[in-house]
Amino acid sequence: MTYQNAQPHGIKPFKPLPRLFGRGALALVIGAYTVYTLGPFLWLATMSVRNTGEISADHYAWPSPFRWEQFRVAWVDSAFDTYFWNSAIVVVTAVAVVTLVGAAAAHALARYRFRGNRIIYGILFSSIIFPPQITLISLYQILVDYNLYNSLTGLTLVYISLQLPLTVYLLEGFFARIPQDLFDAAKMDGYGDIEIFRRIVLPIGMPAIATTLILNFIQLWNEFLFAVVLISDPEKRTLPIGIRAFMGDHFQDIGMIAAGVMISVIPVIIAYAFFSEKLIRGMTAGAVK
Amino acid sequence: MAVVQLDSICKRYGGVGPVAVDNVNITIADGEFMVLLGPSGCGKSTTLRMIAGLEDISSGTLSIDGRVVNDVPAKDRDIAMVFQSYALYPHMSVADNLAFGLKRRRVPTADIDRRVKEAAQILGLSQLLDRKPHALSGGQRQRVALGRAMVREPMVFLFDEPLSNLDAALRVNTRNELIRQHHRLASTMIYVTHDQVEAMTMGTRICVMNGGKVAQVGAPLDVYWQPADTFVARFLGSPPMNLFTLPVASNGAEIGGGPVLGPLSRWREATLAKLAGQEAILGVRAEDLHLSREAAGAAGGTIRGRVFAVEPLGAETLVAVETDGGVECTARLPRDVAARVDEVIDLHFAASATYLFDKASGKAIPADGETHRPHAPRGALQ
Repeated sequence: MTYQNAQPHGIKPFKPLPRLFGRGALALVIGAYTVYTLGPFLWLATMSVRNTGEISADHYAWPSPFRWEQFRVAWVDSAFDTYFWNSAIVVVTAVAVVTLVGAAAAHALARYRFRGNRIIYGILFSSIIFPPQITLISLYQILVDYNLYNSLTGLTLVYISLQLPLTVYLLEGFFARIPQDLFDAAKMDGYGDIEIFRRIVLPIGMPAIATTLILNFIQLWNEFLFAVVLISDPEKRTLPIGIRAFMGDHFQDIGMIAAGVMISVIPVIIAYAFFSEKLIRGMTAGAVK
Repeated sequence: MAVVQLDSICKRYGGVGPVAVDNVNITIADGEFMVLLGPSGCGKSTTLRMIAGLEDISSGTLSIDGRVVNDVPAKDRDIAMVFQSYALYPHMSVADNLAFGLKRRRVPTADIDRRVKEAAQILGLSQLLDRKPHALSGGQRQRVALGRAMVREPMVFLFDEPLSNLDAALRVNTRNELIRQHHRLASTMIYVTHDQVEAMTMGTRICVMNGGKVAQVGAPLDVYWQPADTFVARFLGSPPMNLFTLPVASNGAEIGGGPVLGPLSRWREATLAKLAGQEAILGVRAEDLHLSREAAGAAGGTIRGRVFAVEPLGAETLVAVETDGGVECTARLPRDVAARVDEVIDLHFAASATYLFDKASGKAIPADGETHRPHAPRGALQ
């Protein structure tokens, strides 16, 4: 008979107290943060199904009745459908170009030794440091000169130029950590530069690419400043400017603004839900082995 | 099947930088297992990468099977390489990793399947074909890397320190596996390592490199018993060969005096006459040092020193002594040796176990007498 592996049955080991406190504190912080972020969102959601009169009477009352028609009014009568599609076209195109061009540029900067590599990188990096507002007037003039002012094409190009440097910067950091041996192995396996980019860099860099993709999407979907300056035609407004139209100088249609914001938030939530797993992997990505 | 010929190969980074590989001339025969051996930074990996086509050749000619390939891209050289880090594609399964190179070469799908399965079976990977590399152990990854090279059926295999990430026990197994695969494939293989045990056990020939230059090329035991210079003498062998810089007697009959004295009966008088009265380097391997004169052989020399370390290794004991002149030397003695720290002992060696090197150049001064090769023909039963 051996007692070596004997384990007492039915007695659960005590968890050390500090660990319990740690868990509790963590839950408390996360709970407080959730209330802090989710609270305004829920408040906005209740306001989106109430009209402005009801909201003025009691800011925080529960909707009664639920006025779902506000969404129809916003979408159809207030041309939110136009704004939505304008935003979708501009943002999806810009994000697609930024992702593809940014990934290719980041790969080139991370992998190839060529004259001026670090100078290009430095220029890109410097454009991240300065606030984008300082380029506003010159961009306006350039768009006017090239007949791109007040066009979705012009806005798309501006969005690409705004997001490209940060994208290249983030991806370069990630791609540079992919071991050189993988590229050498693919070369020995017979693959050329473009195929190596497509078959090795893109799949391995997918968590980082997804991260930049979602960050760019959210940033551009909510972009207001450049859109309001570079677009004047109501038919070409994007969502943030469309929502702004509900704000008069003396009267604000809070209920409709809330409904508009809710509409504009939906794609962001979908994008986040779709890419969140990859996003987290991208943020926590360590060595690529 | 291929002969790889390196003719005056040089590598200079940035065109004007220091020379990483300096005038390397080696011909690697068809089916040979050539080991490039040397310390870090000696240029062995750079040489291998030039053969692979991953580094440009600054000057010289590289030919494979008679065809000059200096300007032929890596993918068209029909060479496969196993990397130190294994370089497995992390997003692909084992099967895809093995098939990746074949797909690019438009090998028919049925053929790819057959080759992948065959390699997987030989290397014991059949159960792991659907796994991703991160779900494999170090040894399994190593075998996948080897399999990826094997399925390509290349003319030449290159290995860049493929065992250095494995633990000691696995390294021995994988070493034997590689030797077996070399016998099975009979392909030309070039293997880079800094591990002398790998070099001695695996190589048909070894090429010892130092400072970008070839120090010596030869069969492992030839290089061990007839080192070309003090670098090779100390690099091959563990513990390294003991070297003493000593004056040669005016009559040229012996070297040293005082704590270290060695007879020079292996060398011809004409050779010794040139050295008489000057300093030269005497070399004796650790395993050729004995505690008694009888064990060392009748004629020979002696080293007297104070023991400062005793390292019992189980099968044998390493005893390190320091002579009066402050020179350290190590003896590989029987396991039951009774040496104690601070004890003064005499270590004896046979005249036939000595090596002599030029003090200025470090080059070996060839002996004219019997060749010191105490192991006799390996495996011979007499």
